[in-house]
Amino acid sequence: MDINTAIAEMHRAVTLEALQSLKVHYLGKNGLLTQEMKALGKLSPEERKERGRVLNEIKQALENAVRGREKELEAQALQSQLERESIDVSLPGYAFPAGGTHLTSQMQAELLSTFRRMGYSVVEGPEVESEFFNFDAINMPDWHPARDMQDTFWLKDSGDFDVMGPEGERVNNLGGLLMRTHTSPMQIRYMIEHTPPFKIVVPGRVFRYEQTDASHEAMFYQLEGLVVGPDIAMSDLKGAILELARSLYGAQAKARFQPTYFPFVEPGAQFALWWPEREKWLELGGSGMVHPNLFKAADDYRQKMGLPRVYDGMTGFAFGMGIERLALLRYGIPDIRYFYQQNRLSFLRQFKN
Amino acid sequence: MRIVYSWLKEFLPDAPSPERLEELLAGLGLETETIDHLPAPHSKIVFAKVLAVEAIPGKDVRRVVLDIGHEVQVVSGAPNVRAGMGLALAMPGAVLPNGMELSARSIAGLESYGMAVSARELAVGDYAAGLMELPADGLPPGTPLAEAWPEETVIEIEITPNRADVLSVYGTARDLAALGLTLVYPDPKPKTSKLDLPFQVWIDDPQGCDRFTLSYAKNIKNGLSPLRVQRRLYAAGMRPISAVVDATNYVMLELGNPIHAYDARFIGEGLLVRRARNGEQLVTLDGLERKFDQRDLLITVKDGDKSIPEGIAGVMGGSHSEVREDTTEVALEVAHFEAVSVRGTAKRQSLKTEASYRFERGVDPDGQVRAGLRFMELLQTWTSATALSHGQEGGWEDEGVLVAESRIDLNHTQPPKPIGFRPSYTDKLVGTNFPVQEQLDVLKRLGFEVEGNAEPYQVMPPTHRMDMGLEEDLVEEVVRVIGYDKIPVTLPTFFPAPDNVGVDEPYLVKERLKAVLSGLGFQEVVNYSWTSPDELAKHRAPAPTVAFANPQASDRTHLRTALYPGLLHTLGLNLSQGEEGPFLLFEVGNVFNKIETTRLALLLCGEAVPGRWQPGLGGGFYALKGLLENAAAHLGSSLEVLKETFPHLHPGISGEIIWNGQKVGSIGQLNPGIAAQAGLPASYLVELELPLPVAKTRFKDVAKFPAALRDVAVVMPEAATYAEVESLIRGAAGELLERLEIFDVYRGSPLKDGEKSLAFHLAFRDPGRTLTDGETDGFMAQVIAVLEGAGYAIRK
Repeated sequence: MDINTAIAEMHRAVTLEALQSLKVHYLGKNGLLTQEMKALGKLSPEERKERGRVLNEIKQALENAVRGREKELEAQALQSQLERESIDVSLPGYAFPAGGTHLTSQMQAELLSTFRRMGYSVVEGPEVESEFFNFDAINMPDWHPARDMQDTFWLKDSGDFDVMGPEGERVNNLGGLLMRTHTSPMQIRYMIEHTPPFKIVVPGRVFRYEQTDASHEAMFYQLEGLVVGPDIAMSDLKGAILELARSLYGAQAKARFQPTYFPFVEPGAQFALWWPEREKWLELGGSGMVHPNLFKAADDYRQKMGLPRVYDGMTGFAFGMGIERLALLRYGIPDIRYFYQQNRLSFLRQFKN
Repeated sequence: MRIVYSWLKEFLPDAPSPERLEELLAGLGLETETIDHLPAPHSKIVFAKVLAVEAIPGKDVRRVVLDIGHEVQVVSGAPNVRAGMGLALAMPGAVLPNGMELSARSIAGLESYGMAVSARELAVGDYAAGLMELPADGLPPGTPLAEAWPEETVIEIEITPNRADVLSVYGTARDLAALGLTLVYPDPKPKTSKLDLPFQVWIDDPQGCDRFTLSYAKNIKNGLSPLRVQRRLYAAGMRPISAVVDATNYVMLELGNPIHAYDARFIGEGLLVRRARNGEQLVTLDGLERKFDQRDLLITVKDGDKSIPEGIAGVMGGSHSEVREDTTEVALEVAHFEAVSVRGTAKRQSLKTEASYRFERGVDPDGQVRAGLRFMELLQTWTSATALSHGQEGGWEDEGVLVAESRIDLNHTQPPKPIGFRPSYTDKLVGTNFPVQEQLDVLKRLGFEVEGNAEPYQVMPPTHRMDMGLEEDLVEEVVRVIGYDKIPVTLPTFFPAPDNVGVDEPYLVKERLKAVLSGLGFQEVVNYSWTSPDELAKHRAPAPTVAFANPQASDRTHLRTALYPGLLHTLGLNLSQGEEGPFLLFEVGNVFNKIETTRLALLLCGEAVPGRWQPGLGGGFYALKGLLENAAAHLGSSLEVLKETFPHLHPGISGEIIWNGQKVGSIGQLNPGIAAQAGLPASYLVELELPLPVAKTRFKDVAKFPAALRDVAVVMPEAATYAEVESLIRGAAGELLERLEIFDVYRGSPLKDGEKSLAFHLAFRDPGRTLTDGETDGFMAQVIAVLEGAGYAIRK
């Protein structure tokens, strides 16, 4: 057995299997080296010692050669496996759908989070209202010209549908039935059900009898705010709206208030936000100090329901605004019909933050 | 309300520029819609007098001979052109406001020297039906119209329903004057004569009509009003008609009092104001015959025992006594009618007029005499028989208009009531610290009378401020004049009353649900709340319970009773528009059955996860159910589906959803019958009533001892359900069954036809120790015994 030949053979082995055979051939139970080791017993002690040492060195060398080649072959095998398994990672993956909320929901959630940060609670009210909550109780009696400002979808009361009041009572008899024209009836509903002080915001669908076109919808969303307490002032209203402006448009945002008229507030104000990025004022909504007639209407109703009067001496502010307009402006969307009339996925999927 | 700037200047000589005025008005709560700059007519547009009009045989246009200092001819198709009238001629070289440049051209074979123009062509008014007729002696012929019509600015203000007091030029000036501008008070002084009033007035209903003045003038020569006046009326959005009618409109626009002139020949012995009798009729000025009931207030002409309707109080006059070209004597009504009554009548008659618009908002009950005098003054200036030719306004002779010195004035109005006012309340309500004297001064400048030396001051509003009733109203007056920008910015600090705690829980739960569904790949859509019975029937949804009284369209007549028809509508629309899937849609919205409730609906159509170039990850019922199970897991809730049929779902692929043990809605495949009819591919639907029952999270310690695992395969007839077997196993396995998981559904050899096998993994675990094989085998023996007892075979 020539050790150099043996080592060369091992280095030439191209597979792990071939190397394994060589290993058996030399180092196995009946391998060449093993046989020579077995033959040691026939030698004299001196020869045996010397020969034993040589054989052990050979064994070491062969084993090292086997291990070294093994590692090389393993590395090669891994390499070829990796090459075999290589794929085109540029091909697209499974089309897991990226869902999302409607643009209006996103805008609404953004506004609500601002108010929640200021400690407001979010509550919602019904879309079908009685005339009392939508108009009369918020200081818009039947004869009031302000009713002309809101064209109304009136409903037939067939008797098959119950409108519920704030205490779970049926209120179909409180005037006609209608689709609420604003979220303001929740001011009264909430005041009947709860006691001051409190801060609430009310998002929701509202309805106006209008022909739909690029800038008008018969159904749209409003956000209403109401804060009532013993010492609420109009300056607090300004603070709330300024905070809204900042959360929408950053530290450079401003809020502007001008007198206007809404039957449910006195003094009344419309507000505009300064949008620094576009350098313009956006007329956004109406606001003001809660009209005393609303407190009276809430207390009268409470009394009727056997609840104590709690609004005497209270003051409060309220505000309301449309939600779609903010989204239309932010993204430069030219037509409100994209929102509800069409619900095209290629529109809805665009808005992810 | 269109405020003509030069007109406003008559009352506010120091008025700043229109642009600055816009800011001042906004600060006062009067929002400017637009500022229109009306240019002077082009220098080649001249005043012309029509000398002759001749027909051109065989043509529908006519030859018009004009005097513009010399004779020229134009060809015109205008119906109202006639000899003797004045008009505006755009000569060759003239440029019209729309940019069109005129040239001499040939029409119907005749040379036309430019064009006689309509009000619209000159951009002074919206009337295009005929030529703009001008007073015959308005200007010397050939004079550029610009000499009488210099450039003008109009500020259009949006006026809120409470501010009836600014529905006039003077009223607007009066409000601006509170900012410190000098106000010129109107003080009309017609020359009057001692004339007997040839009529009387009776009021039957002093609540509906608490003020009625009637004055008289004769010797009128009604023609066209002066050019300058025509310009103003056009600019204000009204059409000049005749001097007398224009004067009524002019006074209304200037002072805010709607007034009405009767041809005095037709009002008999006088006027009676009374409620209509049911069915009474009247032909109004617009030529329509109108019918009334006893809610309507009428002006009637008294004739012995009879009284014949002659006008709708505060809305519109009758045609019988209409002022005409030959009218020489007028009776002038300046009255005050109850707002609610006028509003009701105008609404029932669908007749909104400048008069009704003002009366229903509130007209000053104390401006009647002044308005009447102003009318007479204008009449004398514009229509005296010694006709005022150009350049000599104002000089009337004895033969001029005779105005009766006396007038009838029936006055039942109540003086305004004083309002208690505390400047300290302003500061509390607004969050300010305005000096007392400054607050009181503002009120005085607005015309309020302030009495007293200490709070509460007694404040008497001026008669034109009918919107004042509460202390809060006064606060707004004070603050709007001082300026809303002077209010500081604060945030409220208080601790909410306890009953307000937790009120937003339903909203938060809903938001969470929406976030989970979005995360699972569903796109939210928002559909209308309305639908139609057809739409509902087509989708086998419950019949509607609420109908619109005034539906907008035939597909918007009722309120929806379910959400899924809207999702299917959205799906159809998206498919028809070529939108790409996957179609996973959801909506959270309200439905209207016996009561209004909130629901969630889901739709899946096509593969839930398309593979694009490789096989996708499936779709169908189990994909939608899996997604819903995932949503339930996200919300820490349990979900079961029990076989149940619903009208809109496939009877074999549908079930009732049990969420945390409660029935909440349905899941299944859209009934193929509906799908075929609507041309939709197979779609899968979920509809759930919100809010979903909530499960509380309870801590359970992590496992410290190993679980014992066993499998069992149960053979059952095809009709038996997973839920039945699952429930048997759970019932029999005991409390230590930690997990039960199906891992195979098998059909085929060696099972018989109509049989299937369901195979389950079971994991048992005792939290306190390791279970022995014997114990676990014991549990399995119970399970198998129960299954066999129920008639199922165990597959070995």
